[in-house]
Order: sequence, then structure tokens, then C-alpha cells
Amino acid sequence: MDLGSFAGPFLPEILLLAGTLFIFLLDVVGVRSTERVGAVAVAVTGLALLFVIADLGFAPLAFLATIPAGQIDAAGTGSALYAFTSLGLIFQAVFLLATFLVSLASLSRPSQDRGAPIFFGLLVLATLGMLLVAIASDLVFLLLAIEVTSLATYLLVGYTRKDPRSLEAAMKMYVIGALSTTLSFFGASLLYGAYGTTNLAAIAHVGGAGGVPVLVLLGYGFLIVGLAFKATLVPFHAWAVDVYDGAPTDVTAFLAGGSKKVGIFAFFLVFLAPILFVRTGTGSPFANGAIALGPILQITLGVLAVLTMTVGNILALLQKEMKRMLAYSSISQAGYMLIGIAVGTAPALAGATLQIFAHVFMKGAAFLLVAGVTAWGIGPLIDDYRGLGTRRPVVGVAFALMLLSLAGVPLTIGFVSKFVLFSAAVQAQGYFVWLAVAGLLNSALSVFYYARVLRVMFFEEPAAEKFPAGAIVGGSGPSELPAGGFGYGRAAAIAIAVIAIVAVGIYPQPVLGAIQAAAQHFVAVGA
Amino acid sequence: MTDLPLVGFIGLSAALLAIGLFGILTRRNFILLLIAIEIAMNATILNFVYFAAYTGGTAGLTGQSIAVVLVGFAATEVAVGLAIVLALNRLKGTINVAQATELKL
Repeated sequence: MDLGSFAGPFLPEILLLAGTLFIFLLDVVGVRSTERVGAVAVAVTGLALLFVIADLGFAPLAFLATIPAGQIDAAGTGSALYAFTSLGLIFQAVFLLATFLVSLASLSRPSQDRGAPIFFGLLVLATLGMLLVAIASDLVFLLLAIEVTSLATYLLVGYTRKDPRSLEAAMKMYVIGALSTTLSFFGASLLYGAYGTTNLAAIAHVGGAGGVPVLVLLGYGFLIVGLAFKATLVPFHAWAVDVYDGAPTDVTAFLAGGSKKVGIFAFFLVFLAPILFVRTGTGSPFANGAIALGPILQITLGVLAVLTMTVGNILALLQKEMKRMLAYSSISQAGYMLIGIAVGTAPALAGATLQIFAHVFMKGAAFLLVAGVTAWGIGPLIDDYRGLGTRRPVVGVAFALMLLSLAGVPLTIGFVSKFVLFSAAVQAQGYFVWLAVAGLLNSALSVFYYARVLRVMFFEEPAAEKFPAGAIVGGSGPSELPAGGFGYGRAAAIAIAVIAIVAVGIYPQPVLGAIQAAAQHFVAVGA
Repeated sequence: MTDLPLVGFIGLSAALLAIGLFGILTRRNFILLLIAIEIAMNATILNFVYFAAYTGGTAGLTGQSIAVVLVGFAATEVAVGLAIVLALNRLKGTINVAQATELKL
């Protein structure tokens, strides 16, 4: 095969790799200002995003499509390391969108920030790993792709090197990450021992013919624990809050908006096949043996989902600091997303995917906004946000929209995604209805802590006049920032997020339709 | 190759994994922690090697190549860990994990 036919489908990945190397090269030759290095990251992720959207079949961009039409959603051959599914491409778009927003907002960071090339280079490298996760069809390839992301994010969390808090966060994330990696790979090795292959499609097709029950059960068990660490599921979540709190806030936006979804999508890839065996009635690998794997996995994942939602929400209620509150709320959101795979039907997967898509705009942008407000000298406590809404109404309303969407208020994207997700769980009947009930109760619970922030922002007066007057936009450099601006990059990223929250909330059909069709294909190919 | 005493080998790697996990959970010295992580990782690599031998044929080749890739991966992981240790040591003059207490749990 010639280079063109091979490189074509991988153009977005190659673009990101080239971008990473180019940024590190710029560092070597002495181009280190935030604006210049960041512009490369924004351009590379933006361009890759256009390619991926074109591949998804968006007609006006069809001339950019890189994957031959027949290769998307083709049935797995049982040997390939990668497969292009339209759901995978949607996840690629979500990951690229998260990186695009974060790097756009980070253009407004101090332009003499010494770590700028490291920050943007690692950001693009981590995104490369996420794109590979989205096209993986082999267990070991998937885990190695997750590691490309993880190794880059450990360094990203501690990249300032002079801040003991962020370095400590990096250390904690590294230890927990290495532990979870070890467990996942051990699980993969047991599955290889049981099935004689690591290809996910092949494992799905072995059916009743193969598998050593003990090895399979242990293997999936280790994989659940290992991946649960990555996806910050309770009870494997304790590291996440410290890391989200200690990391530079723009990095936190990337962790919450992007890299954590890698774990959730890995759940989709690994566990859909064994769950589908049961749901479609084609017989589980152990139909003739002692155990039915599907129900065990579904119950385990369902319990994890309910635990994650509830514990995350209750702990979020108790927080006094903004970043920690948002971090716990992010953990509880992971619980909602997990409902999708626990139910395992196409509509449920679509709901979870939409929830993940929404989460980029809600939580990712919320962290970006908090980073901007912190640069004004506002403290870390929720009470420090007193009067933000009345003094700086534009910022206040933007933040309020993100929080309302997180709570699932109608006419926002967060309502649409929760509606689709919970109604899919109800449609699935059986004990899945209880997942929907738990989800609804938790949404009601979460309203309390989001409303508290709204009350503080709009109905309480600041103790002292501390919000600097000035335009929202203005001054892309940091030296001008304390005047009260966000900088053009950060303002643009937040504006994009707010527009998306409202636009998709009012008219969800184009996005929802694409995701539902992709989920249908995903389930059809997986079975 | 099916006459290998597979259970014994799995027992060996399970023991290695247990030693590694115990080390990760109890060690307070970051370097020793890295060693514990390596021990646990080696359990996985060994698993792939003898499952490959057990499977045999081309399917066995998959396991052998994965084992080689994982050796490389483990080295990469430790390199990143050492980078964090170096930065930590420069900043705080200690590599004791327990003394990193800026963030409350």
C-alpha cells in the first residue's frame, strides 16, 4: 500500500503529532511566547476538528473527508488494531473540541509564561492519544493509547514545576494512574489468556466457543477497576478532587472536559460486546457454562453508576471551594455517563454520548471561566464569588448558564442529554428504570449546590469592592489582565461554549440525530 | 506447548502483582514506589509471555509482541515518574510521598 492510502484516514492524528513536534521544535529555537506557540496548537486542533467533522458526513465540508466511505462502521475483521466507527469519530470530535477550547482560552495566559511550549505541546500530545482511543479496536492498543494520554497529562498537571500544589497533584495522579494502568493491563493479559486474542471484535465473536470462565471474570474485573480509576468512578475517585484542585485551572478544564471521557469511552469499547450477548439473545460466552457474564457486568456497572452519582453529589454539597465543588460535580456527571453503558442499548449510548458532548461545554468552560476569574485575584472559595453576577453581569450570566445546564434545566444542552439518557433507561425496562430514578433524584439533589452559587453570585453583596471595572474582553496579555478582562482567547472560548449550551438546548435535532445514528451503528457492529 | 503447568505460572504472576500492589500502597519513598510499580507491571508482561507460549502458533506471536511493547512502555512510564521525582526533590528537598500534604484529602 502506498503512503497516501494509508496516511489518508489518519490525517487528523498525523496533524496532531506534527503539531506536537513542531511546538517542541519552536521551544528549541527560542520561540516561546504563549501567543505564538498557542496559535500552533489552536490551528492544529481546529484543522483536525474540521477533518473529523468532514468524515462524519457533514456535507459542506465533504471535500475535506479523509476516510473512504466504506471504511466507516464496517464490520470488524477480527485482526485489525483500529476501526473507524461513527461513534468513535464523534468522540474524536468531542476530544478535539475540548482541546480546541482549552488552547483557545490559554492564549490569554501570561505571554512570558515559561512553560508555554511544554503546556501546549503536551496538550496536543494528550489529544493525539485520545484520538487513538476513539479508533481502537484492540484491547492492548486501546490501553496503550490511554497511556499516551495519561503520561502526557501527568506532566501537564505538574508542568509549572515551581508550584508545590500542582507538583503534588502530578505526583498523586502519577501514582494512582500507574496503579490503574497496571490493573488494566493485568486484566487484558488474563483476557488474552482466556480468548487467545486481544482484538475486541474477535473477543465479541468468539461467543460460546471459547473463554475460560475464571480468567474472563477476573480479567473483566481488573479492567473495571483499572478503567474506573481513569473515569473517576466512586470508590476510585479520591485522587481526582485533589488533582483537579491542585492542577493549573486550564489543565483542570482539559482533565474534566477531555481526558476523563477517555475512560468512559474505553468502558463503551470494552464492555459493550459482553453486555450485548445477553441483550440481543445470541447467547453469552458462558451460555453453556456456569455463569452469564452480561447481567453481572450490567449490575456491577449500574451499582458503580448510582454510587458515583450519589457520592459525588453529596460531597459536592459539602464543599466550600469552587474548584473542589466543580470537581465533585464532575465525578457525579461520570455516573450519569456510565448509565449509558450499563443499560447498553443504542438510545442509552446516544444519551451518554450527548452527555459527554455537553460536559465539554458545561464543565470544561466552567473551569476556563474560573481560571479567568482567578486571574483577577478572586479567591478560591465559593463565597469569594459574591456579587460577581451584579458587578460583572456578562460573566455572571455565562457562568449561571453553565451551572443551570449542569443541573439539567430545560432549554439547555444538559436537559436534552439527561432527558435522552433517562428515557432510554426507562425504555430498557427491568431494573434499568431504577437507574433512571436514581439519576433523576441526583439531578434534583445537584440543583442545591448549583443554586447556592447562583444565589451567592446574584443576590449577595461583596464584602469589599473587589471586582475591577473594565471590559470583559481586552488585553490578550497577562500584564493587562488584572484590569478585569479575560483576554480575547478566553472570552472567545467561553462564548463558543455558551452559544453551544443554548443552541443545542433549544434545537438539539442535528447533533442528537447524528449521535443517535452513530450509536445505532455502534451497537449493530458490536453485536 | 500445552503441557506447561499453567496454574503455577499464573500463581507466580499473581504473587508478583500482589507484591507490587502491596508496595504501591505502603511505600512512602517515591523511588521504592516506582520499583513496586515495575514489579506489578512485570506480572502482566510475564502473563503475556506464558499465555503466548500456551496458545502457540500465530495467536501466540501476538502475546510475545505485546510483551516486548510493554517492556518499552514500562520504561516510558518510569521515565515520567522520575521526572516528577526530580522536580519534587528540587522543590522540597524530599522524595517522601507522605510529606506532600498541601492538598487535603
